[in-house]
Amino acid sequence: MPNAAALKVLVVDDQFSVRQMTRLALEKIGVRLIHEAANGQEALTKALAQPLDLIISDFNMPEMDGINLLRAVRGHQAIRKTPFILITGRGDRELVVKAAQAGVNNYVVKPFDEATLRQKMEAVLGRIN
Amino acid sequence: MTTIDDLRQTFFEESAEGLDAIDSGLSELTDSPESEETVNAVFRAIHSIKGGAGVFGFSSLVDFAHVFETVLDRLRHGKLSPAPHVVEVLQKANDTLSDLVAMAQSAEAPPDNFDADSRAALKQLIGGEDGEAEDAVAADFGDIDFQPVLAEDTTPPPQRFELAYRPAQPQFDDAYAAVVKALRAVGNVQLQGDVNGVPTLDLYDVKESYLRCAGAIESELGLDELRNIVNAIDSSENWSLTEPDGNAPPDPPLSSDPTPAAEGTPSAPPSAAPDPATAAKARGDASAKQSATTSIRVDLEKIDRVINMVGELVISQTMLGQLFENLGAGTDGRMAQVLEDVFLHTRELKNSVMSMRAQPVRSVFQRMSRLVRELSVKTDKRVRLETFGENTEVDKTVIERLSDPLTHIIRNAMDHGIESAERRRESGKPEEGKITLLADQRSSRIVIEVSDDGAGIDPERVIKKARDNGLIPQEGHLSEDEVNNLIFLPGFSTASGISEISGRGVGMDVVRRNVQELGGRISLKSTFGKGMTIQLALPLTLAVMDGMIVKVASETYVMPIASIVECVRPAASEFQSLLGTRGALRLRGAIVPIVYLSELFELGAASEVTDESTVIIIETSEGVRLGIVVDQLIGHQQVVIKSIEENYGAVPGIAGATILGDGHVAFILDAERLGEFAKYSEHPAARKEQQFLQ
Repeated sequence: MPNAAALKVLVVDDQFSVRQMTRLALEKIGVRLIHEAANGQEALTKALAQPLDLIISDFNMPEMDGINLLRAVRGHQAIRKTPFILITGRGDRELVVKAAQAGVNNYVVKPFDEATLRQKMEAVLGRIN
Repeated sequence: MTTIDDLRQTFFEESAEGLDAIDSGLSELTDSPESEETVNAVFRAIHSIKGGAGVFGFSSLVDFAHVFETVLDRLRHGKLSPAPHVVEVLQKANDTLSDLVAMAQSAEAPPDNFDADSRAALKQLIGGEDGEAEDAVAADFGDIDFQPVLAEDTTPPPQRFELAYRPAQPQFDDAYAAVVKALRAVGNVQLQGDVNGVPTLDLYDVKESYLRCAGAIESELGLDELRNIVNAIDSSENWSLTEPDGNAPPDPPLSSDPTPAAEGTPSAPPSAAPDPATAAKARGDASAKQSATTSIRVDLEKIDRVINMVGELVISQTMLGQLFENLGAGTDGRMAQVLEDVFLHTRELKNSVMSMRAQPVRSVFQRMSRLVRELSVKTDKRVRLETFGENTEVDKTVIERLSDPLTHIIRNAMDHGIESAERRRESGKPEEGKITLLADQRSSRIVIEVSDDGAGIDPERVIKKARDNGLIPQEGHLSEDEVNNLIFLPGFSTASGISEISGRGVGMDVVRRNVQELGGRISLKSTFGKGMTIQLALPLTLAVMDGMIVKVASETYVMPIASIVECVRPAASEFQSLLGTRGALRLRGAIVPIVYLSELFELGAASEVTDESTVIIIETSEGVRLGIVVDQLIGHQQVVIKSIEENYGAVPGIAGATILGDGHVAFILDAERLGEFAKYSEHPAARKEQQFLQ
């Protein structure tokens, strides 16, 4: 049973506004250690630099998109077990299938509130206190 | 503390950038329809707007963006080709999208069926399919068989890849051992030496490489990841890593020794350390790739604070210089050198800070291309807009205030300049009209030109109109330039009837005033029947400029360097007194009217020429040359422009004020207005009263 305040979460989105909305939702859940990255490349660097408890990443980003980030994470010995939740848009049906094949833990559809996000996180991490 | 309102604001800023990106992407598509990267960028921008709009609950925006995105997706997958009519529909869709964003921002609900036309056009491109758009409202994918995966269970099973080492030259050196060591760290490596290729001693060539290694690696890492590990240490082609190929195992191994026989080679023995240079280089390449895009969003206010401080620094630095000069001879030479450095660095600092505020004019140009598209429909004229120099950078304030005058000029060109299709055919022009928009930096100014290949200015009509409106005397001859410049006079409008497009009571005089308020000049060239060009010359920045410090009687003034043609100190005999004027100067055969600043600003000193008098020759945007008589030239200096308009209102002949090195305030002269003064100087008293004492 993870404690929200001890969770270290990386939020990846190229849009500052969406990243901040995700951050606000996480803060409401009680997560305090929130890191941010603006694209997959930056996220990978940050993920390799420190152990993370969860990566929440958008799909649509320049440089390296969410699926490729997921594949890169799963391909790196040191961080391949990091839980990964993909943020998708409405209608991105095929994307979810692709992400499942690449080893995603869960997905969440934009727009989401903190209750939805909590539920999606708990399906991956177990009940969050 | 960030609030949701702040974030919403940020979303609109991001959307504005996105809309710009879509617009420029679509125009690029017109030129190079094959560019996959461009289509992707446009798709991403639309997708981001859709995603953000969803997060902030702008549902009409989400719905429309979704249809738009679907079409781009087709384009991306080659199911639709970017033919001109397709791009046209997309451009209109972007206009609709940008309207929807604007409405979301001002919190107004779009009118019913606002996007219906554009949406229908988009749907037609994808064969009227509606199904996906309906899905857009589904908040989750209940129909997909997706089970959330608990953490820890995500590890893919280890995979087996074939591994081989075939050096081009005989070497089993540091790099070889380092690769083997690195691979062992991530998986189970089996490598076997292969001496099959080694010839007998008489055929042996020490420069040839005969040894091979082959085997396999079992790892949880992917093929690419493993290749990256190898390449980071040994970037040559010596190693190969491939998917297992059941049929043809390469080079059957003979010996079961996992390490190659180093004795058999003339090269150095293996060691555990990788070649540091190679490894460092690999790391360097990787970090260079990662830092490809680095930019941060900074509040404009913060930059303005820095700019203000730099302005103050420029003043302090000038004061310091003056103090130093007052110390006189005998001071340490090193101090002069350091001071010089301070000057150089301050200038450099000023330029870098100013460049932070600079933005490419692209955003304004894109607005213009939309304007031309819209007006094209309204006026029923086919017009193509060509833009050049969109990357030219100029101060953000200038950009913001450029939009109005440019809009007006383009409206005019579309409405009055470009003729109807029939008229164009009759005069042997292509039916499609052309408007060219160009931006270019020329020394400390940015030049923006709007040209059209329309009818140009009809001199006779212009003269008649000006006479009818009482702007010019009934008699008298006007030069071509004078005629063209009549349209800038207040109270002049050539539009035969007020049209919806350009007749909004705003004339070219307002455009000229806008441009002059920016410290710019406007000029016009027209060839009747062929078209016309309007040129705006604008300052690069509005905060700091180069000025010439001059002294008149007890006062100090600053003349903008940009307006100065030359400074001369003529002999008294070169001044001529012409009847009815304040005098003129004979300069290399030309007669230049002169203005005594002491008289103009009523400084009480006698307006007469002494041996000390210096004449600054300035030129206005209209090409009028004028000599300004001053007592003394003090020197060239960068000055920080402080507005006096806020506190005193506009003072004719004065553009602003600045603080000098000695702490005194000096007025900055306005060359344009001084030029107007000279133009009317043949009607002495009356004009003077009107111009300067109103």
